[in-house]
Amino acid sequence: MMLGVYDNPDTVFSVTENLVKAGYDVHDVYTPFAVHNLDKVIGVKRTRLSIAAFCFAMTGLVSAIALQTYASYFDWQMNIGGKPSLHIPTYIPITFELSILFTAFGMVGCFFIVNRMFWGRNTDIIDLRVTDDRFVIAVNIHSKTDVKALEQTFVSGGAIEVRERAKDL
Amino acid sequence: MSYESPIREPLVTGGKTYADVTRDILRPLENNASKSWWIGFSVSAVVLAIWIAATTWTMLEGIGAWGLNKTVGWAFDITNFVFWVGIGHAGTLISAVLLLFRQKWRMSINRSAEAMTIFAVICAASFILSHMGRPWVAYWPIPLPNAFGTLWVNFNSPLVWDVFAISTYFSVSLVFWYIGLIPDIATVRDRAEGLRKFIYNFFSMGWNGSTRTWHRYEMISLILAGISTPLVLSVHSIVSMDFATSLVPGWHTTIFPPYFVAGAIFSGFGMVLTLLVIGRVVLKQENYITMGHLDAMCRIVMLTGTMVGLAYITEFFVAAYSGVEYEQYAFINRASGPYWWSYWIMMTCNLIAPQVFWTKWARSTPWFIFLMSIIVNIGMWFERFVIIVTSLHRDFIPSSWTMYTPTITEFAILIGSFGLFFTLYFLFCKYLPTINMAEVKSIIPTHAHDEHHQEADHSTIEKGAAHG
Repeated sequence: MMLGVYDNPDTVFSVTENLVKAGYDVHDVYTPFAVHNLDKVIGVKRTRLSIAAFCFAMTGLVSAIALQTYASYFDWQMNIGGKPSLHIPTYIPITFELSILFTAFGMVGCFFIVNRMFWGRNTDIIDLRVTDDRFVIAVNIHSKTDVKALEQTFVSGGAIEVRERAKDL
Repeated sequence: MSYESPIREPLVTGGKTYADVTRDILRPLENNASKSWWIGFSVSAVVLAIWIAATTWTMLEGIGAWGLNKTVGWAFDITNFVFWVGIGHAGTLISAVLLLFRQKWRMSINRSAEAMTIFAVICAASFILSHMGRPWVAYWPIPLPNAFGTLWVNFNSPLVWDVFAISTYFSVSLVFWYIGLIPDIATVRDRAEGLRKFIYNFFSMGWNGSTRTWHRYEMISLILAGISTPLVLSVHSIVSMDFATSLVPGWHTTIFPPYFVAGAIFSGFGMVLTLLVIGRVVLKQENYITMGHLDAMCRIVMLTGTMVGLAYITEFFVAAYSGVEYEQYAFINRASGPYWWSYWIMMTCNLIAPQVFWTKWARSTPWFIFLMSIIVNIGMWFERFVIIVTSLHRDFIPSSWTMYTPTITEFAILIGSFGLFFTLYFLFCKYLPTINMAEVKSIIPTHAHDEHHQEADHSTIEKGAAHG
């Protein structure tokens, strides 16, 4: 694949737009911070993590209600000051907290799974400077790709460095 | 992309580039610890040792080591607990609520505020453990089956809700903090060598900075902020219900949840100011945590302090209006009884003192802001002391009226908890980036990187703004 290294998010944005328009296979763009709308330009589909989050919230909600009704009504009723055993309003705080807890951990767990992130992972970093101040556009090379023209687009867009990278990410 | 008016003061001053941000913020991590760090850390460690000694003594001796008695069953322990939980709230407010409101000035202070949240909740949790007297049965409030040897917990009790609220709050805050740290840990990783690289590589989880990852990252950051906002409100509401659902005059009021939340934010910002007014100078971060940041935080302190003051006055009005003589006596006793001094310290520090922030001078003079932040911390500690001790010490039967005097052990635990807090905070300053670099880079105007920026137009168009 070919890499174009830039130092300005605005340039990266416009070059990526041009590359996509010209029909190149943009693999991904690596940036030190989230550049807004770049995901739309390279055609990243809206993540379904929000749906996952909702499902986890519902799981937490149901588990919390099940736990409380089972423990205080079905399994072992206790008479504390004559208060009712099955009393939905007093279940609200714990139900709320557990919904949040399940959402946070479930959603973040899914985030790690879809990104294949785990503790101790040795990732193939495209360029060490990408977490500092450089922006890298990676374009996949196919048999039909016009490498010369691609290089030209990179350079005319303001690339400070263009190079080839053997290993596919 | 967002447009910012050129007349607005920039959020990051000094014409910093992205590389400058990385270098400036990682300076404490990548160099040997400075003298001031060692002094601060050593003092904190000594105070932490006091905490360890006093807590160990309490465990060995039992709650008899404290000044509690039959009438005043809660005093320093729960005061300290509520105080520390409250401190924690500013961190979540800054990172979650200000994210939802798109307040970009939060970006250079959210990391240290969130760290503060986590360490403050650790301090608070230590008081829950020690106030039990028998900390080895601390698992009893967790719902465990009857066959385990205890009965199911009482789900009608706010104390059980509190167990869920505090543990959820701590773990969700930790997750939120860690998610924010991952891109920055990757930055450290990519500049480090040897063992450092190994450790930071381990915790960076293979972060690669690709647009796909950022896309998902922004989504989960937004949702975490969305769920943390009601969470932080619920936590202190539930803490307040520990009191409000009881029948003790002075506690049994419906105003407690909003009043506690406002107080928590107030005290939390007090502590953020205490840390950052010093930290920005010591860590040479004046260009990131600007006077504008201090000004904004002072305004929040003034606003929330006034809200708390309004609540104090409302309580008096409601007591008078209710016609309940116990309630009325509880409040008259607060202001003019044997603990009158604690009530007036509270009133002075929390309602009257923050009014100085109406003046520009007060909001732009760092030493004065620091002084005020200490006053706020003192005032909010006394608020909890007033609520707990003055309400309890004269209960329904005058024959059981009594006074509460703390012992040296209790003072040692209170002072020592600051040692626990600051030891953790100093370690954080040394080993993790104290400012969210990825977010701060996103609010730097891109023209700072334009070599020809003299000719280029000076519109401050910003790219990005990580999930903001």
